[in-house]
Amino acid sequence: MTPELTALALAGILQAAQFAALSVLANLEVGTKKTASPRDRQKLGGSLEDLLSVRTARLNRALSNHFEALILFTLAVTVVTLSGQASGFTAACGWIYLGARLLYVPAYYFGLSPWRSLIWFVGFLATLAMIVTALL
Amino acid sequence: MLTDELSILLLYGMIVAVVLGLKTTGMMAQFDMGYLLSARDEPRELPKMIARLDRALWNSVTALALVTPPILAITLHDQSSSGSLVAAQVFVLCRLAYFPAYLFGITGLRTALWLAGFLATFALYFLAL
Repeated sequence: MTPELTALALAGILQAAQFAALSVLANLEVGTKKTASPRDRQKLGGSLEDLLSVRTARLNRALSNHFEALILFTLAVTVVTLSGQASGFTAACGWIYLGARLLYVPAYYFGLSPWRSLIWFVGFLATLAMIVTALL
Repeated sequence: MLTDELSILLLYGMIVAVVLGLKTTGMMAQFDMGYLLSARDEPRELPKMIARLDRALWNSVTALALVTPPILAITLHDQSSSGSLVAAQVFVLCRLAYFPAYLFGITGLRTALWLAGFLATFALYFLAL
């Protein structure tokens, strides 16, 4: 198990934890009757996201954002690993990504500006650096 | 070893990352930094072109999630063939052309490109299995 793969596995756990936190809060706020329904807009009077409190809605956006980031990171890690190009640099990129995505959640939740955007950018750059290193 | 299919996967990942960068740049030009750096609690409507880029990006994330498994399976099992290479090439070319087709609203072509990319993904699954 390379460090990059460990970071990827932990990022998967982070994603699951983000999902669990959102799920618990959303069920508490909106009620299981609405969350377990097919969530038809006509019945709910809009999208389920609009019924969430400000901070829980932020967790929802942070989760969606991590989906996007994770698909690119998964690609970068697996290709670096399979093509035998893992190095100290790519391992560092993996840990930087994980750290950034971990910090991104509280930064979003507490609305820390401009830190949320900066943290996002660090995670994005770490992923891009891995991809470019593997292609070169 | 970096197989051709893996290179194509990386290339596509980089293309998606670059388009994501373009969208971010576009948003910086359209919205004030105060809003962008905030938690964006009140949603604002995206201008037409950026909204198209946004939708194209989400579609690409789905495409990327679906195409990664067969390419990894083909590489791990040394099943790389001229067929899998062609399928991967068709995939990346269609998905690359998908962005301008969406951005400039070329009806029909966008859907045809999406379908060709989707079928190429299916071909990769078929070859992997």
